[in-house]
Amino acid sequence: MPVEGAPKDSTMAEISEAPISSSDPPNTMSEEASDFDPKTMRKTKPGLKRLFLTLTVFFSFLIALPFLLKSIEIYRAPLPFEDIDLLSSAMEKNPLRYPCQFRAVFINFDDITDKNELGLLINSNMQKLTSKVTPACGTCGNNYTVAVTVDSSSNCIHSESENVGKWQCGALNGFDKLNNDEDFDEYLESVLDSKNRKLYTVVVVKRNAEVRVVVGKYRHAWIVGEDSVEKAVENMAEIFVKVFVNGGKEEGSIRGEFMPVGADGKVVLSFSLLNSDPHDWVYDWDFQELDETLLAPVVDALRPVADISVESQVLYHTPKASFSYWDDKQGSYIFSTKDLPFFVNSNEWHLDTSTAAGGRSKVLHFVLYVPSAKECPLKLQFPNGEISMTNGFISPMWGGIIVWNPPVCSENLQVQHLPKHKISSEDLKKISEVFMGQLRQLFGLKSENHYVGAFATSVLLTSAKGFAEWELDVLSRHHTCFNLLQCGTTLGSLSRLVQSLPRMIIMDEIGKQVKYSLEAAKLSLSNVSLGYSDASAVSSRKARALAEDAFYHPSMMSVSYYSFEHCFAVYSPFFLPVSLHVLLAVIREWKRYKVENRKYLAWKAKLE
Amino acid sequence: MVRLRSILLFILLFKSFGSIIIAEQSEEFSEALLLRPLPDRKVLAHFHFESKIPPTRTHGPHHSLFPKSIYQLVHKFRVREMELSFTQGRWNYGRWGGYDPISSRNAKPPGVELWASFDVPQHQVDASWRNLTHALSGLFCASINFLESSTAYSAPQWSFKSFTTNVRYGTLPREAVCTENLTPWLKLLPCRDKAGLSALMDRPSIYRGFYHSQRLHLVSNEFDLAEASSGMVLEQTLTVVLQPVTLGSGMTFGSIRQPSWSLSSLFGRKVSGRCVLSNTSNVYVQLEPNLVSELKSTSAMQQESDVKNLVSQAWSDMSFEMSDSPVRVIKEVYGFHKESSLLYEYSLANSSDSRPFDLEFRWKRPVTWSSQLAPLQASRFLMGSGNERGAIAISLKSVGRSEYTDSSDDEDGRCSLRVDVFQVVPWYVKVYYHTLKVYLDERLHSLADVIERTNVSPSEDKVSPGLMELALRLPCDVNSVILTLEFDKGFLHIDEYPPDANQGFDIPSALIRFPEIKTKLHLFEDKSSCKSPLLSKLQEESPILWYTEVLLVPLTTPDFSMPYNVITITCTVFALYFGSLLNALRRRVEEEERLLKNKATKDSSPIGVLLSKLSAKLRGKPLEPPKSSASSSKVSYKLILRVILVAGIAVAWQYFG
Repeated sequence: MPVEGAPKDSTMAEISEAPISSSDPPNTMSEEASDFDPKTMRKTKPGLKRLFLTLTVFFSFLIALPFLLKSIEIYRAPLPFEDIDLLSSAMEKNPLRYPCQFRAVFINFDDITDKNELGLLINSNMQKLTSKVTPACGTCGNNYTVAVTVDSSSNCIHSESENVGKWQCGALNGFDKLNNDEDFDEYLESVLDSKNRKLYTVVVVKRNAEVRVVVGKYRHAWIVGEDSVEKAVENMAEIFVKVFVNGGKEEGSIRGEFMPVGADGKVVLSFSLLNSDPHDWVYDWDFQELDETLLAPVVDALRPVADISVESQVLYHTPKASFSYWDDKQGSYIFSTKDLPFFVNSNEWHLDTSTAAGGRSKVLHFVLYVPSAKECPLKLQFPNGEISMTNGFISPMWGGIIVWNPPVCSENLQVQHLPKHKISSEDLKKISEVFMGQLRQLFGLKSENHYVGAFATSVLLTSAKGFAEWELDVLSRHHTCFNLLQCGTTLGSLSRLVQSLPRMIIMDEIGKQVKYSLEAAKLSLSNVSLGYSDASAVSSRKARALAEDAFYHPSMMSVSYYSFEHCFAVYSPFFLPVSLHVLLAVIREWKRYKVENRKYLAWKAKLE
Repeated sequence: MVRLRSILLFILLFKSFGSIIIAEQSEEFSEALLLRPLPDRKVLAHFHFESKIPPTRTHGPHHSLFPKSIYQLVHKFRVREMELSFTQGRWNYGRWGGYDPISSRNAKPPGVELWASFDVPQHQVDASWRNLTHALSGLFCASINFLESSTAYSAPQWSFKSFTTNVRYGTLPREAVCTENLTPWLKLLPCRDKAGLSALMDRPSIYRGFYHSQRLHLVSNEFDLAEASSGMVLEQTLTVVLQPVTLGSGMTFGSIRQPSWSLSSLFGRKVSGRCVLSNTSNVYVQLEPNLVSELKSTSAMQQESDVKNLVSQAWSDMSFEMSDSPVRVIKEVYGFHKESSLLYEYSLANSSDSRPFDLEFRWKRPVTWSSQLAPLQASRFLMGSGNERGAIAISLKSVGRSEYTDSSDDEDGRCSLRVDVFQVVPWYVKVYYHTLKVYLDERLHSLADVIERTNVSPSEDKVSPGLMELALRLPCDVNSVILTLEFDKGFLHIDEYPPDANQGFDIPSALIRFPEIKTKLHLFEDKSSCKSPLLSKLQEESPILWYTEVLLVPLTTPDFSMPYNVITITCTVFALYFGSLLNALRRRVEEEERLLKNKATKDSSPIGVLLSKLSAKLRGKPLEPPKSSASSSKVSYKLILRVILVAGIAVAWQYFG
């Protein structure tokens, strides 16, 4: 069609010979003036009909275009990208800091009179310690208050602390069993009653004895002995900062941000007893007993941090994957620390993930490995040549392994005809203690019962529950921090993913989940700054769970990507030719109208 | 003295009681292998593993032998009974037997079959089923999760399994079965395939077989409120039919001659000791009743020796010999019939790495026999042609033996045979159940005479499959029964077609069940035979089952690029219409005519002449000699310019777009 119309093209008419313009109307006057040139003039006004028509079509197309785009638009729930970026950058830049309350009690220090000076001294010591370390997530930073009490026979001075429960002066006067740690711990607890208040106390008792630093099972520690005030203050600051706040961890151990807790707040402790070769001997354990007497209190104690369930299995024919060699000096087979990455034999050890655990629970494997006769006794050797006491090791975020050498293997290696044994309950108790230490390490705590500080070595009392109150506080803080970090990174990657795929469908539900997750995270952050640690733990857990729900939403996983190419392929067969027509028609009509109008104007000018 | 004695006796009694109680309380695992020569020169090998645990109420949730994953599965979904089978190949009922306990329990339809009954309220059953399919799919590396959709499973009422409620049943006929399904199945065994009988499972050998069925059957009454719950029983069986490689021992005259075989020739491996964790681990060689009677008759013909030879392992007189002497020989006691099967039991207890167990079975004379068959031979086929409609026919043919039906007499003394038919049809095969016709001995029969009970739930499009349960009451002397059902082939939405839609669609196997004819192994009820779980399993009564063939229905499959073709052609038509309409609206007829006249008065260049000639020819008008020349050269120049411009835009689009 355009080719056919080429000769009457108005562009040509304009430039070249202009053959057409002997004007439109049929009733041209025959008696026109001699100076009327039909090529450059016309007498009638050019018609607007066709121009108007083409323009109408053109503009109606333009107006319909947004509607079309709207109709083929894929649904994307609006996501608060800025808020997500704010949250993740906030989590990265300034780690969470809890407000902490400390209390220092000096007993029998008759020479102290100025409590404020003492408070300042403690403060400056703590400043020194905190400034050395970059404030880790979930610690106090510089956001703490210290209350000082001096309790001596002559006077009883309290520093002006507001809501902190006051130390009753003279409470220790009648108590003389200072050497028995357990009793003193209980007695202090009855005096301090720190159960409900997260208030950490260090009691310094001046006495004629060697200096002894003990950290109790609750939220207090004590320093007993003949010590100067300055020394006591240094020790005290260290206990506050390094033990109560940091959990007694050394730097460089497992990073505190990683908590082996699933997104749904659940942890499954999966205990497996591996008999590497049942032909030699088969060991069974009374797991029921282990579960009820040894694990139940721990599970109970950790309930504020994680919901723990326990399961067990016994597997057979599970050789280890690494090599061991006979060492005459030790009289045993040796595997060294550099073999540890290859110890777990993932081909043969089918430590199945638990069906009972939901999709996002964390499974921690605890493996008790019973070596076969040809590698028994099997011992772990450190690089310095020492033999490991526990004969076990952990793998962070995976679990722990203990090699347990059965008593028969140190005897003569004779094949017994009744190879079924049971692990004795004393052995089981020892094993469970090692497992407990491994669990503590997996949670980022120390497995030893003393803390070596810069100024003194403190004794950490162990609780029957496996975790002391102050350790649970540390865990809870770290868990909150870890949850919020995870939430931030998950939402951040979600927003990056969504932004990188502009034609991905996003369900309303995801939008809602992201919104609620952000709200929960904000609530948690504000609770942290107010010092409500329990509430912040709850909402941080919720924030992380919602964030992961959104990220792993089934509609996101499926291929719901409707590409632009697809859309183009569907609509171009109609819109490409039609738009060409419309555009060309508009351009031609407009040019023609301009030309004709000029002719008309020229004629008019001539007339006048 | 007397008192002391009585006290001693009491203590002894107490001890024995205590030991019995303890024995009942503990977990048990056992393994067994049953080998049976088949009439068509093949060998059936049936592995049987059984794990038992006492109820959680008394024993607690920790186990040392029972697989943790299965225990958790049962507790999470409250499974009361479940059976999962992976099968490759079809059980040849005609040759391998359809009447013995092994075939009625272990012959399964090809692909995956899963059924489960749950101990949950009625409205939660479907949810439990869906979760269970997903869990099993992960556990066994199979696409069992496709059974999740409500179009894939059905709820049989009575014909599939009597006396159980909340049953769900689903099959995937096209599921390919391979080692990735066997490995997780083996993982449930305490010794896996590291030791014991399962060490025989050499993958190439067992998948080379003619039939391969791996089964997992779970019974638990953990959730029964009654005190007498027996815990959980997990039964795992692998049934393979293998063609023995003929041992070259001069036995090659006559093709009827049975091939001799040994464990190592069948599986390519030997058993190097039992799984130390199993209570019993035995190998049985079973001779079918017909084979035993055949052997008896031949030996009676040749010598005076009689049945005792078979029992007393006097191999020299027999038609066959075995390399080892069995621990004991178990003879089936079957009151009325002469025919009874024989079981030779071997124990693995004495074999070790240095002395592996390798049983060899050698035929010395040619023997022919046939297996015991089910009372009616079932087959199913499609009728009709074209892509519109067809019919399903199920035919039951009598094998001409009436002794099976002895016990099932009617009240009025007439001998009758009850047959249950259970058939699930996917929704896109729209069965018209009113068109059900029954032909007895090729004569149309009224339904009311034959059908005792029916349960039909018609299919609902894209929601549920059609389910038909029929209970037929047939006279004993019937020779053939044919059931026909007509159907229309439905249309699927383009999304619903599977990846290879042109292959056709499967109708899962129908199940023919003879509920009144029970089969079992009749053994002496002595203590020692009960100890082997395989034998006690075979001694349980079970109805005879027959799975028919899987049908392949070709449906009309569209050309899958059709939607785009339709879009393209419709859009092109619309665009043409729209363009010409627009051109027509802005056309100036008079002006064009005037122009043409003007043009005619002018000269033109050779190209112009050519063009006008062409256009004249196209228009069918006589050629008017052109006069103008200057214009058209300029026109062509501009045209070339424009073409170049468009090409340039296209190239730019290609590179930068």
